[in-house]
Amino acid sequence: MAKIGLATHGLARENPRFPGQAMIRVRNLSKSYTVHKKAPGLWGSIRSLVARQKVVKHAVRGVDLDVGEGEILGLVGPNGAGKTTLVKMLAGIIHPSGGEAQVLGHTPWERNNEFRRQIALIMGQKAQLWWDLPAADGFLLLKEIYRIPDDRYAANLAYLAEVLDVEQHLNVQVRRLSLGERMKMELIAALLHEPRVVFLDEPTIGLDLTAQRAIRDFLLAYREEHRPAMILTSHYMEDIQRLCKRIVIIDDGRFLYDGPLDQVAQAYAGQKVITVHLRRGDGSPPPAEALAAFGDVLTAGEDEVQLCVPRERVAEASAYLLAELPVADLSIDEEDIGTIIERIFRERRVEGA
Amino acid sequence: MSVRLFLQVASVEMRKRMSYRVDFWINAFVGFAAELCIAWFLWQALYAESGKDVIGGYVFDEMLVYYVFVIIFARLVRGAEFEAHVSQDIYEGGLNRYLVFPASYFGMKYAQHVGGLVPTFVQTALFLGAWLVFTGGAGGEAITLTTVLMAAASLVLANLLYYAMSFPLHAVAFWADNVWSLLITLRFASNLLGGRMFPLVLFPVALRTANEWLPFRALFGLPAEALLGRVGFEAWLQGMAIGIVWLGVLSLIGRAVWRRGNLQYSGIGI
Ligand SMILES: Nc1ncnc2c1ncn2[C@@H]1O[C@H](COP(=O)(O)OP(=O)(O)OP(=O)(O)O)[C@@H](O)[C@H]1O
Ligand SMILES: [Mg+2]
Repeated sequence: MAKIGLATHGLARENPRFPGQAMIRVRNLSKSYTVHKKAPGLWGSIRSLVARQKVVKHAVRGVDLDVGEGEILGLVGPNGAGKTTLVKMLAGIIHPSGGEAQVLGHTPWERNNEFRRQIALIMGQKAQLWWDLPAADGFLLLKEIYRIPDDRYAANLAYLAEVLDVEQHLNVQVRRLSLGERMKMELIAALLHEPRVVFLDEPTIGLDLTAQRAIRDFLLAYREEHRPAMILTSHYMEDIQRLCKRIVIIDDGRFLYDGPLDQVAQAYAGQKVITVHLRRGDGSPPPAEALAAFGDVLTAGEDEVQLCVPRERVAEASAYLLAELPVADLSIDEEDIGTIIERIFRERRVEGA
Repeated sequence: MSVRLFLQVASVEMRKRMSYRVDFWINAFVGFAAELCIAWFLWQALYAESGKDVIGGYVFDEMLVYYVFVIIFARLVRGAEFEAHVSQDIYEGGLNRYLVFPASYFGMKYAQHVGGLVPTFVQTALFLGAWLVFTGGAGGEAITLTTVLMAAASLVLANLLYYAMSFPLHAVAFWADNVWSLLITLRFASNLLGGRMFPLVLFPVALRTANEWLPFRALFGLPAEALLGRVGFEAWLQGMAIGIVWLGVLSLIGRAVWRRGNLQYSGIGI
């Protein structure tokens, strides 16, 4: 791809969280939706004509955030946590209920063209490209919308189509493409104008593993070349682990954690995973009840046992396993990041209940 | 919004409409023919019943020609008014895409509307051709180059005006779950007061005078009367001026409704 538009502010490159250089700044941002409730059925419809019942849903509750150049921030949280709502505000689609945000120095929901020319929004759930047109025609339209000069357009399109391997599909109506092919087209559509801020809301949803990997690799390459600020939401831990050095964990509209991915384990530490492989021959199943006394039993099979135990009981549990079972080998690992996050949400649910 | 973008959006819409609907063409033609037949039978009966040769200044042939043109003009003015419109974008979340584009949403929608008119132009040309072949143009003797130009200018205004009327109604979709009834009301009111149902001269004088100050006459009545040489140049200019003022007012209303709606738009569908 032509190396134009390649931002090179050295300062921020070393320290993307240097406050003065943040491309996305969010302060105390909140959003609540007002929904009018309607009881089901005809009677409900009639009643709602007279008195509509208002329900306020707090989707985002006062969050702060800075994202720097070249940074891919992972936004992780369960369904309904407020991820998409946050992205919608930052892309300028909706107005917040309170707080402020600056993206590239602009207030997103004022939607001035200078701002909109430099951002991109990719939604895995919702097609952005024109359904009835071949992708190539849609791209031409985008070329006019973003006023991309001819040479840059040609170079970018050629590059993107080649890297994502969709050259042979460019002239097919978007509605006839497979989900993965369509998603790649969406990526091209979103990146043709070399945005400096990119919002990706579940870009790999529903894709097979190969396509997921292709998209991840591509995003990394794009980041190397253009150093945009990106916010990525995904329910696939693999996406987050490959792409993000920093994550925000959000639940019920609040940030539970904002920091390096590799420190989530420490922050929420406590558990380690002990795996033992067993020698065959003996045949008797491992004593499940005894194992459960140490912590969560993840697997308890005839040839493998896996336990998730609190840090301080690791030694004790290992000793027990070695003494009581025909152990072939034993390993002690940090809890998988996905498991940790799952556990955080689960524990919060229990607290809330 | 650049002219190039406008033309490109319009051309995309045109190709879309031209290519993928056979029924669109059949409907259009059957629709024309049916409406004209109804007018024919109705006015046959009315002329016979009243025993008059001239009603409201129209002999029978002229009356029929009036219908030929208001039917055509209504299509050119309204376009495909229920398709791919603002309210649909709001309900189905298509709006989200446009809101992130560095281009005017209104501009892009109007470009689509204009692009969608091209097939209608082709249809109306065919229909006019058919009418000429069948009747030899009887009843349209007063049409001259000047009246054609006046009608053309009038139609441009009418198209903008109708769009400006329907835009705020579509934008009510920001608040209401259904704007269909509003659109139907507009359609009915504009048919009646715009001269689409029958020539406006048939209204009682008081009503007619009042109606001249409303935006509806500029939609179909004025262009048809201009074409058929039934309105003098000055009276036509006055009608145009009233239409232009209304266009300004409606645009302001549309803009205000759009602004308000945007403030509480919740980005449905994503
Ligand atoms: N347009 C809307 N109108 C009313 N409520 C909404 C709207 N969009 C979202 N909500 C509510 O706000 C909350 C947050 O929704 P949001 O879409 O931001 O969640 P999310 O984190 O993106 O979830 P998911 O992982 O399922 O995509 C949810 O409870 C949802 O029901
Ligand atoms: Mg979401």
